[in-house]
Amino acid sequence: MKKMLLTTGLVTLLGTSVLAETIGVSIARFDDNFLTVMRNGMEEHAATLDGVDLQVEDATDDVAKQLDQINNFIASGVDAIIVNIVDTSAADAMSAAAESAGIPLVYVNREPTNVDTLPDNQAFVASNEIESGTLKAFQICRNLRAAGKSGGARAYMLMGQLSNQAAIQRSKDVEDVLAMDMCSFITLIDSQTAEWSRDQAQDLMTNWLSSGEPFDAVFANNDEMAIGAIQAMKAAGIDMADVEVGGVDATQDALLAMQAGDLDVTVFQDANGQGAGSVDAALALARGEDVEQKVYIPFQLVTPDNVDEFLSRN
Amino acid sequence: MAEASHGTGGLTFDKTKRQWPNEMNVFGALILIVAIFEGLGALIMGQSFLFDSNDRFDSIFNEARLKIIILQVAIIGIIALGVTQVIISGGIDLSSGSVVGATAMIAMSFAQVAEVNGNPNPKAVFGPAWMDLPILVPIMVGLLCGIFAGMINGLFVAYARIPPFIATLGMMVSARGVAKWWTSGQPISFPTESYAAIGKGMMPVIIFVVLAVLFHLVMKYTLYGKHTYAIGSNEDAARMSGINVARHKVLVYTIAGMLAGVSAIVLTSKNLTAQSGMGIIYELDAIAMAVIGGVSLAGGRGSIIGTVIGALIFGVIISGFTFLRLDAFYQEMVKGGIIVGAVVLDQWRQQRAARRA
Repeated sequence: MKKMLLTTGLVTLLGTSVLAETIGVSIARFDDNFLTVMRNGMEEHAATLDGVDLQVEDATDDVAKQLDQINNFIASGVDAIIVNIVDTSAADAMSAAAESAGIPLVYVNREPTNVDTLPDNQAFVASNEIESGTLKAFQICRNLRAAGKSGGARAYMLMGQLSNQAAIQRSKDVEDVLAMDMCSFITLIDSQTAEWSRDQAQDLMTNWLSSGEPFDAVFANNDEMAIGAIQAMKAAGIDMADVEVGGVDATQDALLAMQAGDLDVTVFQDANGQGAGSVDAALALARGEDVEQKVYIPFQLVTPDNVDEFLSRN
Repeated sequence: MAEASHGTGGLTFDKTKRQWPNEMNVFGALILIVAIFEGLGALIMGQSFLFDSNDRFDSIFNEARLKIIILQVAIIGIIALGVTQVIISGGIDLSSGSVVGATAMIAMSFAQVAEVNGNPNPKAVFGPAWMDLPILVPIMVGLLCGIFAGMINGLFVAYARIPPFIATLGMMVSARGVAKWWTSGQPISFPTESYAAIGKGMMPVIIFVVLAVLFHLVMKYTLYGKHTYAIGSNEDAARMSGINVARHKVLVYTIAGMLAGVSAIVLTSKNLTAQSGMGIIYELDAIAMAVIGGVSLAGGRGSIIGTVIGALIFGVIISGFTFLRLDAFYQEMVKGGIIVGAVVLDQWRQQRAARRA
């Protein structure tokens, strides 16, 4: 009797493991807002697919830990691996480990440095980071022109963590837009990091305000910092109609701030779309189907005109 | 001379051996740093650091800058008040930043409004029955979270005899786990108006100052304070003289936990959001404020006033570097140097005092 139970148990176990496809997922950080939406997007999408199991791990921003997680996935024989990489320059070891085990690997959201030399059964799903900062900066430039400030405008820029690729790229995008003839009337008074954080942005903005410099716009690398700057300006009695504020991410908090008339521009990065897209790419690779090696999910500009469309999307 | 020492066991008051209170030295350092920024400001920016050079305010000071200098350190300063007591008792608390994170998440989820701009709250944690609660609910929840975490720290240190570094390190990791687990990483936003008032404007500073004065009096004039210093100076001697050392340690860690809870409430109210990453490395900033303020990591020495001045030095540095438009890298380098420098100076001063005695 015992033996029979054991055998049936084993058979069912084998049965399910044959039917279900398991995808190992390693996310850079569980406590990051955007990555959390993306992670939920993956899980929700996987739940709609029959027989797809996700095993999701938190790399807690640790490069070495992430590589260990991937090797553990390989050892337990998953069908595919999705990596939201901690350090974009640490991809070689991961690609090599997955390739030698013959397991498909998909990088999501953060672009690995080896993106142009990926092995055949590996892919990259993300949005093109150059779009985000550019869309935001250009819209603010247009708004300032429309407000009749094309004779000269001054701005502050709040940057994310300076060790982070997205922060560097988004800041560079703003500087590139301000170098264009059409937008060169905007000068940056100062650029400082507020580490992506609303609290630090609030304090930094208040410090800037204490200098009493007149300014017309605030560029922020993400929405949290834009909201922090808005809170500081409102506390100082500045009318938000007089200042153009732009962020990136289109978080719920930011969209509601836009509805309230405080935030002027943000950029929607489709976290759900990236999450679902990475699961689809991983499954297609596991089944030996053809997949584009670079799948770009476009950024979208959000202004008070179209903010309502985005309220339910992230 | 011999007659003078009679009856005091050879210990007489000797003017030449009297030292300045250490707080005066720390205060001197604060003035020096302000003066450096004032000088560099005149040189590089062509305007004053602390004074109203553009005639924007009624007073002679740049009021906006004075305010932000204190405001930006008030929240970590509240934690530092508790950390100071723990260090004086001969312990250490590495958990306060994570306790802030966990308490922020839990307290904020009891402070949400049901409707934002006419829409249902998109960040709702609980159902509608748990929204728009009276302000007392999130405050009590927050304080209890802090007290609970602090008490566990204290019980492990005092009764399980685990080194404070390890016990609070464990809490640091676990509490961060709680912060992330509570909503699986999702931020919690949109508090009620009354909750938002706790951290509005200069309220964080008022709360910090009131608590600082309170604990200054407690440490200086009550039995609690005297026992804390006694345990930190010589634990065995404190035990011999009848102090219930274990029970007292639990109390010290519990108060530190409660202050981390207060800090979390003020922080979430000021930012109108709670996020699981809140409070990261606050514990180290708080310890650094205490150390700069002359609190000895060996225990038994230091004061609340010293820590408050230490916090102000932090604030002046942050504002000074932003004023000069220098990048954050330099700020971090200088901050690190000041932390080590403060301890080196203190050591040197101790040795000199020991030689003279």
